[in-house]
Amino acid sequence: METAEAAVPEQTLATGGEPPCARSAVTDNGRPVKIEPDLDFIRAVSVQGAESFKKCFQCGTCAATCPISPDVHPFPRKEMAWAGWGMKDRLLTDPDVWLCHQCNDCSTRCPRGGRPGEVLAAIRRESILHYAMPRFLARLMNQQKYIPLRLGIPAILLGLALLFRDRLGSAMGFATTVGEDIVYSYSPMFPHWLLNSFFGFFSLLAFVAVVVGLVRFWRAMTAGYAWWGEPKVKKGILASIVATFRKVITHDNFTKCRARNSRAVAHYLLFFGFVALTAVTLWVITGSVNPIIREEFVYPFSFWSPWKILANIGGIAVLAGCFLMLWERLTDQPNAGFSLFFDWAFLWTLFAVVLTGFATEALHYLRMVPHRHVAYFIHLVFVFSLLIYLPYSKFAHIFYRFAAMVFAERIGRESNGASSGQEVEPR
Amino acid sequence: MSIQEKVSSLFRDNNRVAVLVFVLVIIAPFGYSVVRPVFTQGSSTDEVFLDIPDEGECVRETAYMRYHHMDLLKEVREDVIRNGIRGEISVNGCRECHTYRGQFCNQCHEAVTLHVDCFGCHYYPESPEDSVRLESGGHDE
Repeated sequence: METAEAAVPEQTLATGGEPPCARSAVTDNGRPVKIEPDLDFIRAVSVQGAESFKKCFQCGTCAATCPISPDVHPFPRKEMAWAGWGMKDRLLTDPDVWLCHQCNDCSTRCPRGGRPGEVLAAIRRESILHYAMPRFLARLMNQQKYIPLRLGIPAILLGLALLFRDRLGSAMGFATTVGEDIVYSYSPMFPHWLLNSFFGFFSLLAFVAVVVGLVRFWRAMTAGYAWWGEPKVKKGILASIVATFRKVITHDNFTKCRARNSRAVAHYLLFFGFVALTAVTLWVITGSVNPIIREEFVYPFSFWSPWKILANIGGIAVLAGCFLMLWERLTDQPNAGFSLFFDWAFLWTLFAVVLTGFATEALHYLRMVPHRHVAYFIHLVFVFSLLIYLPYSKFAHIFYRFAAMVFAERIGRESNGASSGQEVEPR
Repeated sequence: MSIQEKVSSLFRDNNRVAVLVFVLVIIAPFGYSVVRPVFTQGSSTDEVFLDIPDEGECVRETAYMRYHHMDLLKEVREDVIRNGIRGEISVNGCRECHTYRGQFCNQCHEAVTLHVDCFGCHYYPESPEDSVRLESGGHDE
């Protein structure tokens, strides 16, 4: 979308000893850029709240107030200009977009009533849709009118798995149900060989899609970041990954937010709850082959089994985190940020996963048949929709944000905690 | 200052502590599963499963009973109490082979934390001592 005017020699613009920020964010390594606005991209980003980039007069309050923005070419000021000029290539290859945690410190202080937090969120959404493979699936799944399809595909696939369970099981040599009566425990309803192979296969597909997306994204960042000069590698890839992990786990950047600090608590609960649930799941799946495990897993677990306790704590944490996020998004819109279907779909799916999970557990202890099997089926539908749409939903942020944070760390772009953010009274 | 703000600022100031707490919670069962077998040498969770008598034949095959015994018992209860049909299957009949409910019922049910309703009405000796007590007419001495 942009072409460097090669005729202008660099020496005429770049004076010796200038600070890097003297080069404007709309130059290409110091040379002027011919801007060709991508109108489709502008339209795609102009969603609820994010269309406010039109109000931006480049005062820089947002970049100054942001506690986690780097000192050189800070976000979100330059992104506001790029969005207005439809500089799609810059925005989709910009790691800064992903450094933002949308605490909306900027949005609550913009003197023009602009909402940079929303603009960056909209660009992140466009990035996920742009790097997704296949792209049409991402477009399809993020439209409200296709909710029936979104849930119908998992329901049909799981239904088919149930239908062909016995035939498949005997063909593959797995013991399946016994007796002709109604199925009682979960184990014969979805035997573990079926659950593991079914979810394993589709998780693998989703994983391949994520890896393809990540490779595209990383290459784009590497190629696209030349505009402000040669990106200098300051840290090794391993050191960058370790530093990023540290930041993700401690929520250090997240807790610097002021306007909506409770987002950090909600995310912390959700994050660790999810890690706990994933840990139990992986431990149970690998239980029979894991050399560290010296006790056998016997199903179903006792309520007081340490694994069950961890899973329940994790579930409660995710439920609480989801509830906080949904509550804030529903009741405190200007501060919490406006939500698109993209945001709602991810949050409600996650909420539904945990809610149906607990419903299944409760109905199990109440021994309500067939309610608990129905609840279990619905639970699996939501789990499945969370997993297979991972590359196309907001869930993908765990990979894209991580990659961008590693990239930023690598070129010395991550803020080091010595914040440039000033305490400014909100408007 | 609202509760929400208080919690937020508490987390903001102590996020490292909060993270440490959750990391420990997640690690705990992993540590437990590694450490426990060291202290409980030789005991395996296999013991949870009951001994199946060598002789005699159950009213249904073992595989069916493992998953559906509760359905069968409910059916029989329905027949006896609602329909007045007393068939061949009874809780007393179970005792002919599975002598004590301590090993036969409780082990599994305790392991999975599922309460057994049967013994609110039916008598079923829990252990050999219980059985002696029954034969001596319920007197301990």
